[in-house]
Amino acid sequence: MNAIEVKNVKKGFGKLEVLKDVTLTVQPGEIYTLLGENGAGKSTLINILTTLSQADAGAVKVMGLDPICDGKHVRRLISLNAQTMTLDENFTGEANLRLIAKLRGVADVDVAIKEMSQRLELSAFIQRKVNTYSGGMRRRLDIAMSLLGSPKLVFLDEPTTGVDPKNRLALWQLIREMRANGQTVFLTTQYLDEADALSDHIAFIHDGRIVKVGTPAEIKRQVTTTYSLKVAEVQRDEATNLLKNAAIAFTQRESEFELDEIAAKQGLPILLANGIQVQHFNLNETKLETVFLNLMQQEVNHANH
Amino acid sequence: MQTIKQLTALVTRIVRQNLTNADTLITVIAMPVFMLLFFVYAFGGNIVTATGPASSSEYLRYALPGFLLLTMAMGSAYTALRINYDQTSGFLNRLHTLPIPRWVILGSHVIASVIFMLLAEVVVFLTGLLMCYRTDAGITSIVAFWGLSLLFSVAITLLAIPFSLKAADYASAGGFSYLLLMLLFVSSALMPTAGMAKPVRLFANHQPMTPIVNTARGLLDHSMAVSNHTLWLAMGWLGACVIIFSGLSYWVYSRLFLHK
Repeated sequence: MNAIEVKNVKKGFGKLEVLKDVTLTVQPGEIYTLLGENGAGKSTLINILTTLSQADAGAVKVMGLDPICDGKHVRRLISLNAQTMTLDENFTGEANLRLIAKLRGVADVDVAIKEMSQRLELSAFIQRKVNTYSGGMRRRLDIAMSLLGSPKLVFLDEPTTGVDPKNRLALWQLIREMRANGQTVFLTTQYLDEADALSDHIAFIHDGRIVKVGTPAEIKRQVTTTYSLKVAEVQRDEATNLLKNAAIAFTQRESEFELDEIAAKQGLPILLANGIQVQHFNLNETKLETVFLNLMQQEVNHANH
Repeated sequence: MQTIKQLTALVTRIVRQNLTNADTLITVIAMPVFMLLFFVYAFGGNIVTATGPASSSEYLRYALPGFLLLTMAMGSAYTALRINYDQTSGFLNRLHTLPIPRWVILGSHVIASVIFMLLAEVVVFLTGLLMCYRTDAGITSIVAFWGLSLLFSVAITLLAIPFSLKAADYASAGGFSYLLLMLLFVSSALMPTAGMAKPVRLFANHQPMTPIVNTARGLLDHSMAVSNHTLWLAMGWLGACVIIFSGLSYWVYSRLFLHK
């Protein structure tokens, strides 16, 4: 049985068609990441999968159950950690955890809170009011609330947005532990590096459609790696001519050049051999937009053929 | 049993929120107490009431039931704020993804709101007792008065729900309560309608708050007992409010959460 099955799902709000035709399958025990820009339809799909909303068309199964007809049973098996944190600011962290534990019907609330506090390293401040917490502490508490009761399928909607690097890495570790514990994680994010580091499968959603699905390795092959190269200002024209003469493709902004992987491998030795002083040579961070543009271009090319 | 535990947990949460929030306590409890003291000891000696000449003690005897309803009306603003905050913060969505019967989610707000309003009403009533208010009502009338208070708090809580769910933000959610307060001010709650200007008096005599306040007053003070007609009018208004606003609340809620 798949953890999630979505077939040809459509969803609109009035005239706005948010999900146009979404199909995906999530295996049990994996981290499945949905990547997309704001407004791509990620949260709308999560709302459908977590029984908050109904699809206009198509078929949805969550843990083998229909989220609408079997909503009550689905809600026993899942947990949602939404983008916006839902903490009671004037209560302690423990009071927040206790409430959710009671609502989930956790058998031994005290034991569950203690275990969760230790697992997410909340113990030091669990008795403090939430309005004294930092952003990272709040996010960890919010995720702890989502993990109480050991749900089999956890939806994490952009859990690291706005989180500092240290806490981001801690959250990544936590997400990996969920998988190790046998939980299925459905993650949405805007960050390619996060998807790369965590996912067993990644799906790109763009304009309400899944435009690509694959493992991180498969997805990364869709991206053209680029390098930035900066030369001394006085040698800018000389460097430009050297690259042009060698028929190496590049884009240029003042004394900074951008080259793809092959061009960089050819161009850098030529510049160095001719005494050009290279001040910086960096691998450009692969951005989500780059992947999207690449995928979109492929979509256009495919349509033209 | 699990449903009762869930309902209790959510009701406790909201009551705790109210009791630990200074703004809520000041507006819903301290402010009505202050208004009662101010109206009775500053204005009361100058207001001729239906029961006698101008004096602070006569005014207290006349106006306390009105202040009790006013206290609950002020509490309804915070009912709306709490529901709206839970909606806009995403907490209602979190609850909707938990294995909780749907009715428990808003039901907990209704119960917590009624508890808090009645609690505030008790504080203001005790203040009235400290100010030497004495009731000559028997136990049946006292029970009937608290029954009326319960029905009033349920009705205005149900009124608060559609406004709170539809309000764009926390700040505007409680705006409807001004309508309630306006209705109470332009009624027999704080002074008799007889001395009001004719158009105001016409409105005051025919709007829902006047028979409700008069009934409350009559239950606490036999010398101001009301006719069966007034009693049934009050019950009719409250019953109609409960039916209409429970329907409207469910309609707004289902559009927002059940048929999304």
